[in-house]
Amino acid sequence: MTPRGRAPERRTRKLGELKAGARAIVRRVSGEPELLRRLMELGFVPGTTITLVRRAPMGDPIELRLRGTHFSIRHSEADRIDVDPF
Amino acid sequence: MSIPSDLATVRPSEDVAERRKELSRRTRRKLVAIAGGPNCGKSTLFNKLTGLRQKVANYPGVTVEKKAGFVPLPSGRTVEVLDLPGTYSLRPGSPDEVVVRDVLLGVQADTPLPDLTLLVLDSTCLERQLYLCMQLIEIGRPVVVALNMMDTAREEGLDVDAALLSRAFGAPVIPISARTGSGLAQLREAMDLEVAAPRAVTRTLPEPLRAVAEGLARMLPASGPLACLNSFHVAMALLLDEGEDDSLMRAAPHPVRREALARRARLDAEIPEWRSHEPIGHYRTIEDLVRRATLRLKPETSVRERIDRVLTHRVLGPVLFAALMAVIFQSMFMWATPIMNAIDAGVNALGRVLSPALPAGPIRSLVVDGVIAGVGAVVTFVPQIAILFLFISLMEDSGYLARAAFIMDRLMRGVGLSGRAFIPLLSSFACAIPGIMATRTIDNRRDRLTTILIAPFMSCSARLPVYALLIGAFIPNRMLFGFLSLPGLVLFSLYVMGILAAVLVAWVLKRTALRGPRPLYVMELPPYRVPSWRSVLLTVRDRAGLFVQKAGTVILAVSIVLWFLASYPKNAEVKPLEKRLQTLEQSMKSDAARGGRAEATAKRAEAAQVQNEIAGVSLRDSFAGRAGRLIEPAIAPLGFDWKIGIALLSSFAAREVMVSTMATVYNLGDADQTSVSLRQKLRNAENPKTGARSYSPLMAVSLMVFFVLACQCMSTVAVVRRETNSWGWPIFMVLMMNGLAWIASFAVFQGGKALGLG
Repeated sequence: MTPRGRAPERRTRKLGELKAGARAIVRRVSGEPELLRRLMELGFVPGTTITLVRRAPMGDPIELRLRGTHFSIRHSEADRIDVDPF
Repeated sequence: MSIPSDLATVRPSEDVAERRKELSRRTRRKLVAIAGGPNCGKSTLFNKLTGLRQKVANYPGVTVEKKAGFVPLPSGRTVEVLDLPGTYSLRPGSPDEVVVRDVLLGVQADTPLPDLTLLVLDSTCLERQLYLCMQLIEIGRPVVVALNMMDTAREEGLDVDAALLSRAFGAPVIPISARTGSGLAQLREAMDLEVAAPRAVTRTLPEPLRAVAEGLARMLPASGPLACLNSFHVAMALLLDEGEDDSLMRAAPHPVRREALARRARLDAEIPEWRSHEPIGHYRTIEDLVRRATLRLKPETSVRERIDRVLTHRVLGPVLFAALMAVIFQSMFMWATPIMNAIDAGVNALGRVLSPALPAGPIRSLVVDGVIAGVGAVVTFVPQIAILFLFISLMEDSGYLARAAFIMDRLMRGVGLSGRAFIPLLSSFACAIPGIMATRTIDNRRDRLTTILIAPFMSCSARLPVYALLIGAFIPNRMLFGFLSLPGLVLFSLYVMGILAAVLVAWVLKRTALRGPRPLYVMELPPYRVPSWRSVLLTVRDRAGLFVQKAGTVILAVSIVLWFLASYPKNAEVKPLEKRLQTLEQSMKSDAARGGRAEATAKRAEAAQVQNEIAGVSLRDSFAGRAGRLIEPAIAPLGFDWKIGIALLSSFAAREVMVSTMATVYNLGDADQTSVSLRQKLRNAENPKTGARSYSPLMAVSLMVFFVLACQCMSTVAVVRRETNSWGWPIFMVLMMNGLAWIASFAVFQGGKALGLG
């Protein structure tokens, strides 16, 4: 919160917290080395633009779009990815 | 850093062996490996190139399928083509990916280093696909790149500059469409030429990491399996060869291995995030390449988005999925049943036709009741397998299978599985055989094994006759609370019990035998495509063919063994009965000549009765019958006598055999589950020693519980053996399921007795 009591436009948050349809830029990916490497190889590299396309009917997993490809990813994994919303 | 002396000198014996290998490499047929990401159209291309000249096997020791075929080239030569599993990266995270890397680096045990790699890329989503390309180019072996789905890309207004990509990689890049076949002629021509090794792609890596990898690269021996590859790539591959499989490490000489481990430890201490630098560097190059080589001529269309809005809709999505599952399930029952009945009739007819041609006695019995019945047992599964795989490959090729997994993931997570496990488990309610075969769509090894091991708990259609017989005989047809039919409730409970057992076993397995690092549940949702009938039908043919070949041989062998156990040794009591039958038949003939109607009918009935008695006596005194008595002490606490023991043993052929076995044991011939006399026989059966009733409703419940949980199906065992490529897992499954069945039936029977229910 800023002193004027208004939320700042850009604030780093977890990928899973985005609304459906929102776009964001990957800032940081964390996790065990092996999982981290796998995510990176799929294109979850800092600086990449990601769109949260939709949530599955039961709220989880979520559908993402990055680098022209759509992925389904669970919330628990999406929480390893910090993003800056547009 | 100094090079250890034992590395500088190469032992001559190794050198000679290597030279010999190289020589045989030059004289044998050229080997082309097809690599590519999942959903890039690789298999469609493979099918198009090879036609029907394919064979499927397993790579040794793993469940990864090895698909190979032959492709005639313009020069008249034929090359062998290997369809590698789809992979995102050459740094493996699954057994499939280990195989791909090992084949491409020439360290896979049964496969020589490919002379050429054909890399298939989906032009419509080039950016993510180029990651594998970067790694593959770096290996330094000849590569031809096929830009697949160029027609679709053009329709979508995407232009890809193949010439620019070709210059960047120093490798031929050929636009094709595997679906329509355009560009395949040029591809065949390129496969015919001697392709030079590609140019190394520039990659950005932070200096300390580069230095560590280069240092390791310099230590690699100048001969051996890894010598003809780019040493920097091999060094990076060694540094990143961690996790479950370390086949690449094992292929490297001992000192190199030690050095790689030491350097990895040093990197972990100095640059904790060093593993991320390869992807970061590659994607930097890729972004630049994509920017230069692709041009979007019109804005992206939203066909996919429009379809997804319906198929993954909060309400419509699950409803449509459920409807589709209902159709599949119904088809497995409704379409398959008439075909299965026809097969059954055909097998019986074949037996009848062949019988007179064979000498009566053991040979005829072996052929008719052993071999033909065994072949019949194999073939009856084919319709269900074909129907399930018809749907699965349609769903997979159209892109819907991934959406189904997307919808079901949350539900299946409760069991520790992913959405992919749903369809195999659902199919297992019809039959576990196609269900277990359908687990191929699960990419995580532990999830797949768990699914295979719990699939047989789903009450399959073969259990239904057993339930029907026992419920009909022992469960009173009463209404509970005025609207719940008691038999219906019992049947429903049996299905629920199977599901609960599956959930429990999955939960335990995931925490014990199949515990492991949590896999990354990230799954691509591919664009929708119109499936190619050719590919779909080839998949169906492959699956059915493999089942008949691999599982079928085991099933046939076990059928013959079971036939032998139920037919031998021959009993002395049978002789007088057979004599009586002969005299009856003769007098029937003479009666027929005289025309005595009533007498003939009576005699025919008597003859049938004698025949049933012969069958009963032979079975009761056969090895199977004796085994039934032998296991009686073990099953008596569950409420079963030795006659049920025989039925339990013989139902290993297939569960429904239990019904006909009980009929034979009670001298009723070939009665089925609806037979009133069989039900009466079971209800009124008496223990000759005590004179008390042999079977009570409590025993019937105990027996049904046993059938829910026990693994009494040789075909399941055979198919698990084939799908896990080991005997260990099927044996574990039999012990686990039968142990569980015994405990549960014991609890039901003894608990029920203690409560005064039986």
